[in-house]
Amino acid sequence: MLSSTPWKRWLLLAIAVLLVAIYLFPLYWMYVTALKTNTETFANPPTLWPHHAELKVARVWNDMGMGSFIQNSLVIACGTVAIVVLFGTGCAYGLARVRSVWMDVALFLVLMLQVLPPSLLITPIFVAFSQLGLLSWPRTGTILATAANKLPLYIVLVRAAFTQVPRELEEAALVDGNSRIGAFLSISVPLARNGILVSAILIFLQALGEYVYSRSLITDRAYQPATVGLQFFVGPNASDWTGIMTFAAIYVTPILIIFVLLQRRIVSGLTSGALK
Amino acid sequence: MTLQIELAGIQKYYGGYHALRGIDIAIPKGQFVALVGPSGCGKSTLLRTIAGLETITSGAIRIKGEDITRQPPRLRDIAMVFQSYALYPHMTVEKNLTYSLRLKGVARAEARRKAEEIAAITGLGQLLDRYPRELSGGQRQRVAMGRAIIRNPKAFLFDEPLSNLDAALRVHMRAEVRKLHNSLGATSVYVTHDQIEAMTMADHVVVMRAGVIEQQGAPLELYDRPVNRFVAGFIGSPAMNFVDGVVTETGDGVQLALPGDPTLAFTGRRPAGEAVTVGLRPEHLNVVADTGTGNTMRLPVSLVEQTGSMTYVVTETEPMLTVAANMSRAMLTAKSLDVQIEPANVYLFDRTSGEALKSL
Repeated sequence: MLSSTPWKRWLLLAIAVLLVAIYLFPLYWMYVTALKTNTETFANPPTLWPHHAELKVARVWNDMGMGSFIQNSLVIACGTVAIVVLFGTGCAYGLARVRSVWMDVALFLVLMLQVLPPSLLITPIFVAFSQLGLLSWPRTGTILATAANKLPLYIVLVRAAFTQVPRELEEAALVDGNSRIGAFLSISVPLARNGILVSAILIFLQALGEYVYSRSLITDRAYQPATVGLQFFVGPNASDWTGIMTFAAIYVTPILIIFVLLQRRIVSGLTSGALK
Repeated sequence: MTLQIELAGIQKYYGGYHALRGIDIAIPKGQFVALVGPSGCGKSTLLRTIAGLETITSGAIRIKGEDITRQPPRLRDIAMVFQSYALYPHMTVEKNLTYSLRLKGVARAEARRKAEEIAAITGLGQLLDRYPRELSGGQRQRVAMGRAIIRNPKAFLFDEPLSNLDAALRVHMRAEVRKLHNSLGATSVYVTHDQIEAMTMADHVVVMRAGVIEQQGAPLELYDRPVNRFVAGFIGSPAMNFVDGVVTETGDGVQLALPGDPTLAFTGRRPAGEAVTVGLRPEHLNVVADTGTGNTMRLPVSLVEQTGSMTYVVTETEPMLTVAANMSRAMLTAKSLDVQIEPANVYLFDRTSGEALKSL
């Protein structure tokens, strides 16, 4: 369909494979390094495939106390998603339904927030949280900061999902005897369900990978998530690269599996509305 | 006579735009009212104000004497059929039909029984467990109707419900909607831009333009006695012909601005020399054998459109006239046509204001 001659198709395929390979190389390197021994890691020239593969999952898990890190990661990610979905859904709906200049301004401001990087915001947030005493509940503080940071993306994505729901359906529900909120919950939300689900999953994955806020707001190791826990491998004299990569692999693999399993839904959820 | 729906002095502004300008309509119980007009005339807005989907700037809406102007839609007990049908895509036909009942807290078994009853009336028999996407256009239309009927509401509102159907089905559904209205003893307000739909279905037709009611009354009253040129041109198909003319010395005839300056007599009397617009309905122009019979004129033919039962002849004049002729096929090739019209069927309108002119 794209091209008429077979060799052209093969060429395009080769280019695509090459680009994917470049893109996925770090992932590959992570898994390979995780399997190597410490000496092999520093071998020159580097080996593309481990000669003496060894699985260090159990050792790293126990030595690092990964259970606590992963639990904290999940608490922060789930808390973030809960807040984002709770506040973002209504906001996205409002932005999708009410058409006025002020709504355009609001949407623009929301998009502006998306541009601001966490590393820029962390200093004022730290000062504010410390004055509010929120640093005594560091995970709560991190959840709030991360949620605020992720909300714009969620709002923009879910707003697109709501604009796909015809207004007449809600009006029919209103005439049928429902209230505004009832129509929103029983008609609009179920119909925008895919967009909401996919956006929530994306936010969840992003919150799992969040580093700046947790690193800055959480000082107690018992409350730190896995992204921050990674730094404990880096000592003053030596870095345990295979340990770091094993740690990363343990953390990333479940996320990758989730993503691959939901891949089709995620893509269709993000592009729904692009095509009728 | 108790009024089911009463609209009094309804004004609606969208910012600076005056969408509805003093609408008064009184609808007795059991009446079928059609709101017609060109797009953008405010007919849909008016319907939505009755449903409560739009607020009004001033005026009052009363249903069974109760003022519901400020009430939200759910308290008005009115059902509406939307142009797009607005079926809930994530619910089966049964769930669509019973949505309002479930909101009222009707028991599941009772709701199911009602849904089956309605499905039988609307011919949806075996479709209760289907989803809207699995239905044809006509079936969706029936679900939309059924969803309105099941509630037994105080009034039905229809927003161009047949415009998405193909021509044959539309004619069929027209009759079906009207039959349903009669059998339910319902009160209905029906919005359409199709004047034929309005004429055939309604007891009472309201013609709107630019947020104003131009005329309202029984269908044939609008057809026979249009109050102005707009209504005259809007009601009737094909549309009425309009030609400039000047009233003759005698005051009972009008000379048309057509080739040969034909003069037509009209009933009644107008001041001599008055500049008027003359309205001639295509179906009132009778094709005759020659111009000798009185009140006739000879028109050059430009185009002949045949529909089988009727033949529409378009004349080569400025402005073009349409003649609806039931004529023999031999005459189809004629270069010119002799037409005659009854004086009673000659309509006169003020050339500037467009108001219908009455006999002095």
